[in-house]
Amino acid sequence: MVKLQFDWESAGNRFEALVNRFVKWAFSFRGGITLVCLGGLLCLPLTGREYLVTIVITAMILAIFAASWDLLAGFAGQTSFGHAAFFGISGYFTAALVKFYGVHWFVAIFIGAGCAVIFSLLIGIPCLRLKGPYLALGTLAFALILYNLFLTGDWLGGTEGISALPNIGDVFVVFYIVAAFMVASLIIMRAIVDSNLGTILKAIRDDEVGADATGINTTVYKLIAFMVSGLFAGIAGALFVLDTTAVNPALFQPLYSFYAIVMASIGGIATIYGSIVGAFLFRLTGELLRPLAAASLLIFATILILIIRFAEEGVMNPVLGHVQDLWDKIRGR
Amino acid sequence: MQRKVNIMFLEILIFGTIRGALLALLALGFSLVYGVGGLLNLAHGAFFLITAYILYWTIPLLAAIPALSYYPLLFGIAAVISLSCVVAIGAVTYLGLMKPLQKSHIGVVIVTFALAFFFEQFVSFAGDPKSHYIVPPVPNIVTILGVRVLQQQLVFVLGSVILVTLVTLFINRSKIGKSIRAVSQDSEAAKLVGINTDRVMMTSLMISALLVGFAAVLYAPGNYIAPRIGWGYLLLAFSVTIFGGMGSIPGSILGAYVMGYATSLTDYLINPSFSEIVPLIVILVMLLLRPQGLLGKKGLQ
Amino acid sequence: MYRIYGTRYEEGKMGLILEVKNLTKKFGGLTAVNDVNFEVHRGEILGLIGPNGAGKTTLFQLISGFEKPNSGSVRFNGVDITGKKPYQIVNLGMARTFQLVRSFRYLSLLDNISVACLSPRGKEAFGEIGIDAAASSILASVGLVDKARLPPVILPHGDLRKLEIGKALGTNPEFLLLDEPFSGLAHEERVGITKLIEQLTDEGVTIFMTGHVLHELMTLVPRVIAMHQGRLIAEGPPKEVANNRIVLEAYLGRGEEFA
Repeated sequence: MVKLQFDWESAGNRFEALVNRFVKWAFSFRGGITLVCLGGLLCLPLTGREYLVTIVITAMILAIFAASWDLLAGFAGQTSFGHAAFFGISGYFTAALVKFYGVHWFVAIFIGAGCAVIFSLLIGIPCLRLKGPYLALGTLAFALILYNLFLTGDWLGGTEGISALPNIGDVFVVFYIVAAFMVASLIIMRAIVDSNLGTILKAIRDDEVGADATGINTTVYKLIAFMVSGLFAGIAGALFVLDTTAVNPALFQPLYSFYAIVMASIGGIATIYGSIVGAFLFRLTGELLRPLAAASLLIFATILILIIRFAEEGVMNPVLGHVQDLWDKIRGR
Repeated sequence: MQRKVNIMFLEILIFGTIRGALLALLALGFSLVYGVGGLLNLAHGAFFLITAYILYWTIPLLAAIPALSYYPLLFGIAAVISLSCVVAIGAVTYLGLMKPLQKSHIGVVIVTFALAFFFEQFVSFAGDPKSHYIVPPVPNIVTILGVRVLQQQLVFVLGSVILVTLVTLFINRSKIGKSIRAVSQDSEAAKLVGINTDRVMMTSLMISALLVGFAAVLYAPGNYIAPRIGWGYLLLAFSVTIFGGMGSIPGSILGAYVMGYATSLTDYLINPSFSEIVPLIVILVMLLLRPQGLLGKKGLQ
Repeated sequence: MYRIYGTRYEEGKMGLILEVKNLTKKFGGLTAVNDVNFEVHRGEILGLIGPNGAGKTTLFQLISGFEKPNSGSVRFNGVDITGKKPYQIVNLGMARTFQLVRSFRYLSLLDNISVACLSPRGKEAFGEIGIDAAASSILASVGLVDKARLPPVILPHGDLRKLEIGKALGTNPEFLLLDEPFSGLAHEERVGITKLIEQLTDEGVTIFMTGHVLHELMTLVPRVIAMHQGRLIAEGPPKEVANNRIVLEAYLGRGEEFA
């Protein structure tokens, strides 16, 4: 029998259940901290300090980028060293669409990200058989291929790239747009990772042969991971280009792939939300080190080496763990 | 007309050989380290870079010593210094970064990746981001069979062939070489028979650094060096080893020369800038069709 | 091949779940599996014995799709599965465990089994009751449900084997390949696994298991095939195969005298 009436009651029950879950989470330690930080973040533009806002915008974009890497590497076990490829491809397509075809920026972001998804398939398929270090170099090679192609080719501006893209609004508007994308992207990525799909990806990461023996078509799922990762890296790339109103081949450099790895590692691999911490620390440290200009990258490389060498878990979880212990102590538990 | 074609053919042959010699030095060490320990050293290109820069910095320092007015001698000493440095750096890299992380192959890759950046930034910081020129010790131009070649390049090819042969012989004949081969086949079994796998790994890394440093010492002079060149050389090494077979020594050497001639061919017959992409295309094609390379074993991880 | 008749099984009555014909696998100069022919009847427990290096694990690899044979064929439920990929074979109803136990290290025990339930075949079987519920009940049936949220690293060896069997069960198999399920286990652990296997047979699952030591299979397994140097050398009830001259020679070496 077909249900002709919308079932208000069960919908209402489900909504109520969702709200209850949210309230419970909001009052928990992690939820509380998250909401406080989010609130602080959203109030930032109200301070009117444009410079700070610009920095935070970049940090948020990089957070999406780092999280997309984390999803592929930390949850699906595919450590990509050429993530800049997705970043750059989306950036270029978005820029071209906005500048030469007058496409609205919102649409352009998704089309650009869509192109990144296609490229993630193009890169993912040959890389299927590669594992670990092989995969790292393979993806690095792809990014370098794109770097060379865009650097030496005449299409889409060559070395100069495309510049003078139309602004999508003043700094504060951009801030909220990017913030919205970041919150949405990270929540979605986290949801994917916690879902059944995420469980399968984690299984592939932990033991690919074992996953195969449990009836999982690892090829398909690895490609799905590549595509999802590519999508969000693409969104980050599109936002980046729209924010800086320019795009050039430098986006494909190994350096940008390196950035993704640093940020995700600092925050904590396989956390998704750690990428926010990593990206913010990274960007803000970058600002602080600005007077040292040339040395700053040197220091970053050193930091990454030290972190990988000594603190594999990254920063976010241990710190949150300590803070939570402190909080519990204060509350007298 | 016939003479022109002849000359072009000879040019392709000669420059192909030079290129092959370079690729052989780059790939042999890279493949060796992978074959022995399954470790991909992404700082391989950075070793080339740092050797070239130490050479570049040492030469003016040594020039201050009046006794060393004879340039080739000065160059030779500077070369020895930079080679020693890079071999030492190789050892330190292994001990400080690779050995502690050897459980996590991906950790090694990330750390060597970061090290490569470290060197790039270090060189840029300690020197400057611009490109520089190293004066070759033997700057004469020599004509072979009608082809004009830098004498430097001839020395380079000679040196490459000698060194590659020496290393190959060393690995196949010497006692340490035997340990190296044992560890590359089965490191657990090697440990059981009392081979110090750590020492073997470190030795392979040092040999690798020596090979690539040698390439830098003889190839960089007469060429421009800049902080970013490390990546290109890393890519070349990777490309050749993928082509010839990761962990296969004859594969790396064979692959090096085949790719050398192929690059030379595309240089002359198609387009010089196209030959930049050749190694990258090789990687792509090999990964798709035959990931174990020409002479590699199937199922290598 | 030396054949001993009179197995507990009424041949042909239950139907063949697996038919292996002329299966051969060479690794370079070594022939690991050499022209092997045998059948597995639906519902039975078949044992495979042989000294180390006889080719037992390679045979398993070939049947479950992890290696491709050089020649010969494998038919599962009448379907030719030679050369199919492992996950495809699993989704047809054949699951296996490994000699060296594997698990998904960073997933909870429950999630370990959920992965199997999330395979196409698992989803088909358990979709209605829900993946979590199905995984929980499988975990309970192998006796590990009290540790559901913990990671495999805390488990003793015997429990890891149970987990592996649980993972295989998550794909709702008709046919289970158990590679040396008793190796490395203490006596109580072996009893646990034996009980589990008996339970599974009662539920109609066909089992094909290898064992290195014969006596642990003796009471459990009504029919046994023996391999040596890649060939099948004997078949029949375990007591008779164990006393078979050729088998004894294979295990103990040629021309040895026994006091």
